[in-house]
Amino acid sequence: MTELNVIGKSVIRPDAHDKVTGGKKYPVNYTLPGMLHMKMLRSPYPHAKIISIDTSAAEKLAGVRAVITPDDVPQQYFTPVYFVPHLAKSMPHDFVLMSDTVRWAGQPVAAVAASSEDIAEQALELIDVEYEELPTVFDPEEAMKDGAPQLHESAPNNIAKAPSFTFGDLDTGFEDADHIFEGVYETQRVHTCYMEPRVCVADSDTQGNITIHSSMQHTFGLREKLAYALDIPESKVNVVKPTYIGGGFGGKLDIGFIEGLSSLLSLKTGKPVRAEHSRGEDFIATTRNPVKVYLKTGVKKDGTYTARYIKSVLDAGAHATHGAEVIMVHGLYGTFFPWKCANQTWDGFTVYTNNMIGGGYRGYGAPQGCFAVESQNDEICETLGVDPIEFRLKNTHREGDPHPVLQGHTLSSYKIEECLRQGAERIGFDKRQAAGSDEGVKKKGIGFACHPLWVSGCVGFPDIYEHSGATVKLNRDGTADVVSACVDLGSGQITMLSQVVAEELGLKIEDVKIVYADTDTAPFDAPTHASRATYSAGLATKAAAVETKKRLFKAAAAVMEANADDLILENGMVMVKGAPDSAVPMVDIIARAESPFIQVTDEGPQPTTIAEKGTIIGTSSMAPPTNPSPVGAQFIELEVDTETGEVEILRVVHSTDVGQVIHPNSAEGQVEGGFQQGLGYALMENLQFDQETGACLSADFLDYKIPTAMEMPSKIESIFIDSNEPSGPYGAKSMSEMCLIVPAAAIANAVYNAIGVRITDLPITPEKVLRALGKL
Amino acid sequence: MALTSVQSFYSPEDNKTVIELLDKHEDSALIVAGGTFLHGLVSRGLLSGIEALISIQKLGLNKIDVGKGAISIGATTLLGQLKGCPQVQQESWLGAIKDAMEYPPVQIMNSGTIGGSISSSCPFFDFPVSLLALDGSVQAEGGSGSRDIPLQEFFAGLFENSLASDEFVTGVSIPVPSKSSTSAFIKMETNANDLAILNVGVRLTMGDAGICDEARVFVGGGVGESPVRSPSAEAALTGGAVDNDAIDLAGQAVLADVDPLSDHRASADYRKAMSGVLLKRALKSAMQRLS
Amino acid sequence: MKQIIELDINDEVHELAVEPYDSLLRTLRDRAGLQGTKKGCDSGGCGCCTVLVDGKAMYSCMTMVMSVQDKKITTVEGLPEGGELDPLQQAFIDAGAVQCGYCTCGIMMASKQLLNENPNPSEAEIRKGISGNLCRCTGYQKIVEAIQLAAAATKNG
Repeated sequence: MTELNVIGKSVIRPDAHDKVTGGKKYPVNYTLPGMLHMKMLRSPYPHAKIISIDTSAAEKLAGVRAVITPDDVPQQYFTPVYFVPHLAKSMPHDFVLMSDTVRWAGQPVAAVAASSEDIAEQALELIDVEYEELPTVFDPEEAMKDGAPQLHESAPNNIAKAPSFTFGDLDTGFEDADHIFEGVYETQRVHTCYMEPRVCVADSDTQGNITIHSSMQHTFGLREKLAYALDIPESKVNVVKPTYIGGGFGGKLDIGFIEGLSSLLSLKTGKPVRAEHSRGEDFIATTRNPVKVYLKTGVKKDGTYTARYIKSVLDAGAHATHGAEVIMVHGLYGTFFPWKCANQTWDGFTVYTNNMIGGGYRGYGAPQGCFAVESQNDEICETLGVDPIEFRLKNTHREGDPHPVLQGHTLSSYKIEECLRQGAERIGFDKRQAAGSDEGVKKKGIGFACHPLWVSGCVGFPDIYEHSGATVKLNRDGTADVVSACVDLGSGQITMLSQVVAEELGLKIEDVKIVYADTDTAPFDAPTHASRATYSAGLATKAAAVETKKRLFKAAAAVMEANADDLILENGMVMVKGAPDSAVPMVDIIARAESPFIQVTDEGPQPTTIAEKGTIIGTSSMAPPTNPSPVGAQFIELEVDTETGEVEILRVVHSTDVGQVIHPNSAEGQVEGGFQQGLGYALMENLQFDQETGACLSADFLDYKIPTAMEMPSKIESIFIDSNEPSGPYGAKSMSEMCLIVPAAAIANAVYNAIGVRITDLPITPEKVLRALGKL
Repeated sequence: MALTSVQSFYSPEDNKTVIELLDKHEDSALIVAGGTFLHGLVSRGLLSGIEALISIQKLGLNKIDVGKGAISIGATTLLGQLKGCPQVQQESWLGAIKDAMEYPPVQIMNSGTIGGSISSSCPFFDFPVSLLALDGSVQAEGGSGSRDIPLQEFFAGLFENSLASDEFVTGVSIPVPSKSSTSAFIKMETNANDLAILNVGVRLTMGDAGICDEARVFVGGGVGESPVRSPSAEAALTGGAVDNDAIDLAGQAVLADVDPLSDHRASADYRKAMSGVLLKRALKSAMQRLS
Repeated sequence: MKQIIELDINDEVHELAVEPYDSLLRTLRDRAGLQGTKKGCDSGGCGCCTVLVDGKAMYSCMTMVMSVQDKKITTVEGLPEGGELDPLQQAFIDAGAVQCGYCTCGIMMASKQLLNENPNPSEAEIRKGISGNLCRCTGYQKIVEAIQLAAAATKNG
C-alpha cells in the first residue's frame, strides 16, 4: 500500500474560511437586478377540486407583475425524483407542477410574482379560490381498503406500487422453527431540517432559455425535470451548480414547486424570479415516509433464522414521489437482503393518502427497516438467551460472500464482525445489567443495533442514474481547477474531491480548486445521495486526474524526449522513473504547453513543438464498477427517568467499516451529526398534522423539536475499522447514511435494557415510556 | 411573514405619551418591549390589523428596585438582568425566579422582558408561574391613573389580559415575605429551547419548628388558558412539616386541581401525571434551599 | 411607508430605508447588503440569525430594527480585527466544526458573548451558551471543541 499524502488526513476544508466569514456562495444569497419575488397560495383543504380561481384583485395590486394558476401550467405528469428519468417505468408519473385537484393540505394552487416579498404575500390574500371539498383518507391501511376515497385514477385501492420478493418456502421455514416471533413496528414522519431553506432564482431570455440557481442536491436532475415540466427541450435549461448548499440530507432531491413556477413566471414577465420557502413551507415540502412493518420471524433455539415474513406499508402521501423508491430500498437493503434466510418473503406497499408528500432522507427506508428488524432481533436474543453478537454473525453475510443483491459481485470488503466486537468492547457491552434490573428511579441501559448491508451509490438499482464525470485542468502556476457537478451539501464533497485530485497529481490541498460548473459545461453527475459521492464521484474525478496526468506526460515526453509511459509525477516534478536527475518542474511543462508556439526570447525566436502544445486537461465520465457495502453498528448507553419517562443518552460508540477513511475529522463529523438526527428520530421528532384538516401542527422549530447541544451526549466515539475497498478511490467506500440507519434501533434496544419493556413505535417519547411502564 | 399593516413605530419618552398613543390607536396599537412574543405571533399568522407599535424601551422601566416591603421590577427589565440580580441569586425566597431564569437560551435572556412575559398572558411561559408562586402583582398605568393588579386577576384568558385599552404594564411587584420563606420552579421541556409542556412554581412560608404556615402552588404549561392554582396541594402542605410524606401527599393532591389539555406536544394524562412528579421535585428543591 | 434611519453596524454607520415593521435580520440582509447573518426559520427557533446588540446575542429575526437605532450592532462581518480572523473563526476552521456552515455564524456570535463574559467556560456552560442555536450537520461535538479552542487561544494570545 503506497504512502498517501493527502488522503486519510484531516486537511483544512477549502470552504471553511468563506463560511466562517459569512459564506458568500449560499444559494439563498443569490440575487439578480430587477428580480421579482414569488409566493405561492396553498390549499387549506387536504382533498378538493378547484371550481374557480379569481386572481383579478391580486393582479391589480401595485407591484404585482403576474399571477399564475393551474390553467397557466403545462399539465405534464412525471416523477419529480432527481435520480430517475422523468418517465422512469418503475415509478408512478403522478406529479404535476400545479393541478386543479388538491390532494394534500398545502398543495400550491396559485403563484404570484411581485416587486417585493411583502407585496407578493399581500397579493395571495386577494386571490379568491372556490373549492369543492372531497372525502379524505390519512391512514395508509384505511386507504388500501375497498371504498376508501380514490386519490389517483391509475392506482386502485390507492396502491402506487406493491413490490415483493421471495426465497424458498415460508410454510416449511416456519414449521422448522423452534420459536416464532411476531411484531409490528411503526415509524413517524420526520423532516430533514436542512438549515438553509429551499430557494431558487430562475432567469430567462427572449428565446425561452432558462438559467436557474437552486439550493438542490442535483443539477442534472433539475435540468431534466424542469425542462419536461415546462415542456421545453433540455438544452434550453441551464442549471448552475451551487458552490455549496446549507444542508440537504436527501430533502432537496426532487424538483419542488418553486423551480417550475418561478421559471414560468420568469418566462411570463421577462424578469428573473426568486422564490424562497419559509420554514413552515419547508416543513411540508419533504419528509421521511412513515412505514409500518409487520415482522414475523422463525428461529431455531440457537438463533438461526428459519423463516422471515416482512410486510411493509409505506405512507406516500398525495403523490408517490420518493415513496415509490424508498419502498424498494427499504425492502432490498433495509429488511430483506441484509440478513440470510433460506425462506423469506417481503411484501411492500407504497400507498397514497391525503398526507404531505415524501422526499429523500438519509438512509432512505433503511432506518425504518433497521428499527423493526433490530428491535425484533434484540427480543429474539433476550428470549432465547443467545449472545446478541453471535446471533447477528450467524444470520448475516461474510466478507467474500457473493453480494446478496448484485449478481456477479462480491462483498469485497465487509467487516461486520470487527464492527460488532470492537464496538461491544468499547462500550462495555458484557457489563450491561439484565433488562429492567437497575433499581434506581433513573435506570441505566446499554443496547446496540447494526446494519449489515448498505450501498455506496446506485449500481444495480433499476432506473437509477449512476455515473459521474469531471474535468481537471492544470494552471500555469501548478494549481488544478476541477469542474464537477457534484453538489457539496456540507458533508464535505468539495474537500473530498480536492483531496482525490491533490493525491493523484501530487499537489497540496490548497492548490486544488473546485470551480464553477453548470449543466451546460460539466459532465453528468448523479445527485449527492445514496452515499455515492466519495465512491462514485471520487472515482470519476480520480480518473479525470489520471487523464490530466497522461496529458501532462505526453507534453513532458515531447519536452524531455522521453517515453510518456516511463514518466512519474512526484512533489511537483515530472521525471523518468528511477532517474531523479531527469526531473523537470511540472509548472515548466505546463508553461511550455500553454505558451505561444514560437517564443521570442533574448536568444531570438525559439519554437516549441506541436506535440507539447495545449492546455493540460483531462476529463472522465464513468460508472463505478460495483456497489460495495459499508457496514456499521452503534452501541448506546443511556438512562431512563422512570418518573418522567425522559431518556438521556450517556455514551455513543459507532463502529463502522467504510474502507479507507478519506478525512478522519469529517468522517467523525458525519457520525456525530448523524447521531443528532438519530437521537431526534428516536426520541422527539414528529411532524404532526391535524387529523381532520390535514394542517401541519409542527411547522416551526418551536413545535418540531430537534436536539440542541444540551440533549446530545458529551462524547460520541467513532471507531473506523481498518479496512480497504479495492474498487474504491484509494480504498474508500461510503459512510454517511449508515450513521443514521442504526441509532433509533440502538436507542430502542438500550431503552429496553433499562426498563425491561419494549417500545415498538417511534418516537419513544417520555409519555410512551411511562405508558410502557404502566404508569399512565 | 411581516406585519405589513404597521404604519408607525413610536418610541415615546414618557408614560403620558404612551397613554395618548394607546387612546389614539385603540385596538390597532400594540405595546412592544423586546418584541419576541410579537414576532412569534406574526410568524404564525396570529396577528393582523396592527397599525402602530409603541415601544416602551425609552421610559426607563428597566430597573430593579429592592425595597423593604417589596421588590419592584420595571417592565423592560430583561430576563438576563433579573438573573443577574444578587437577591435573585442568593435569597431562598426568590428561588422560583432564579430557577425560572435558568431555562431560556441566551438570546431570549437578552431580549425577553418582564413586561412582555407577563403581558402576553401565555400559560406556557415560565416567569409568570414563578411570579404567581411569589404572590406578585402587576403595576399598570393608564388614562385613569396607576393601579396594582394581582397577577391571577391580570390573566384574563389565552393571550388576553385584563388591561383597559389605554393601559400598559409598567412593572411587577413582589412582596418580601415577613417570615422565612423558600420557593422553587421547575419546567418540563422537550429540548432546551422550548415552551413548557408543564411547569410548577411553589413557595413555602415556614413558621416555628419547621411547620409550613403557608404554601402557594401554581401549575402552568398546557393546563388551560392561564396557569392554575392548586388549593388541594397547598392544603396538604400547610400546618405540618414539609417532609417526604407531606410532599407525597401534595403530589397526589395536585392531581385533583389540574385538568390539562391534550395537544400535539403532550396528552392531558401525561401532563396531569407530571404535575404531581414536578411538584414533588420542586418541593424537595425548595426545602433543600432552606438547609 | 419606508423611513430613513441610521444604524451602527460593525462600527460603520449605515443609512437605510426601512419599513416600521422590518426585523433587524431583513434589514441586514436585504437593505444593508450584509448576508453573513442567516435566515433559518424567521421565528426565533434556530439561532442562525444571531447577532450582537451592544455585545448581547439576540435573534435578529425577532428584533425590530426600529428598536436598535441607537445601539451597536455586530455581525459576523465585524468579527475579524486588523485583518485577522477572530479566534472563534479560526478555531471553527481548525477544529473542523464547519460542515454546511449555515448555523456557524449564528453560533459564533452567541459564543462571542459567552467568551466575553466567561473566558474559561466548562463544557456544560458552552452547551448552555449555544442552546438557542440549532445545528443539523455536526452534532455540536466539534463546535464545542472549537469554542474550547477559541477560549484557550484567547487566554494565551
